[in-house]
Amino acid sequence: MIRSHLERLLRLVARTEDEELSCTACFALLPLYVDLDVSGQTPDVRLRLFGRHLEQCAVCREEYEAVRELARLEVEGRSSSIDDLRRPL
Amino acid sequence: MRQRSNAEWIVALNGRGDEQAAALTDLRTYLLRAALFTLQRALRYVGHLESSTLGQLAEDCAQETLTTLLQRLQDFRGESRFTTWAYAFAVNIALTAARRERSAPVAQDPILEISEALPSPGRDEDGLPDPERRALQMEMMAAIRDGIEQNLTLRQQEALRALVFEEVPLDDVVRQWGSNRNAVYKLVHDARRKLKMHLASRGFDVKDIFDLFAVSA
Repeated sequence: MIRSHLERLLRLVARTEDEELSCTACFALLPLYVDLDVSGQTPDVRLRLFGRHLEQCAVCREEYEAVRELARLEVEGRSSSIDDLRRPL
Repeated sequence: MRQRSNAEWIVALNGRGDEQAAALTDLRTYLLRAALFTLQRALRYVGHLESSTLGQLAEDCAQETLTTLLQRLQDFRGESRFTTWAYAFAVNIALTAARRERSAPVAQDPILEISEALPSPGRDEDGLPDPERRALQMEMMAAIRDGIEQNLTLRQQEALRALVFEEVPLDDVVRQWGSNRNAVYKLVHDARRKLKMHLASRGFDVKDIFDLFAVSA
């Protein structure tokens, strides 16, 4: 076990809760959490476990960040057109 | 595109005729935009694909998402904006497809190799090696090793190795094990809980561990 592995494991173990959300449960809460975040509201205590899941699950965190960015751009009226999005591809 | 409230989306998509057709067209635009956006962010998975292939992948993802959403309209509870709810599905489907394009092999060796190498010796306030600190570090390393080897199943060790140490994407592990996300997540969660309890039984508060190894929280 090299140091970086140990650090990563320690960080995750320290933040481990007895009860954690599954990825399915997290997905069901994701839209609500995103909209609260984008609108600047503090997610309420019911969503605390959602945030904890994101700390532990890289795939859910990656999805959350993408959805949040999409929602934020839409709310701000800055969504890119499909033509613009196609160009870098 | 026309702006719609949540109720207007649901009514239109459940309806018929021109109103439904317009809603479907607009929704597909949202979904294609989300798929393209997601794939742009996922170039580490799909950067090797040709532009035309990526474009087609986005189209396929958008179509799959549309089909999924229409089957699950009754699940929308109105707790969020309808478009945010739709984006969640679009991103999930696009990222899953993207990760599939670049699979990292999962190590099959079930035995977790733990080297005896330690971090740099702890140092006291004067910057000199601190024997006591080093002794505590060695004890803690032994405790972690024991915790992994004695308390975790082989499958849990494999999961830790793949997901935590080698940072293999969860979807890759799921696919190679023929499992599902929830099952693999639970496997790792159970492993983390066992390690936390084991360390506590050895007298190690996790916050103390951060201090011992100068790990940032």
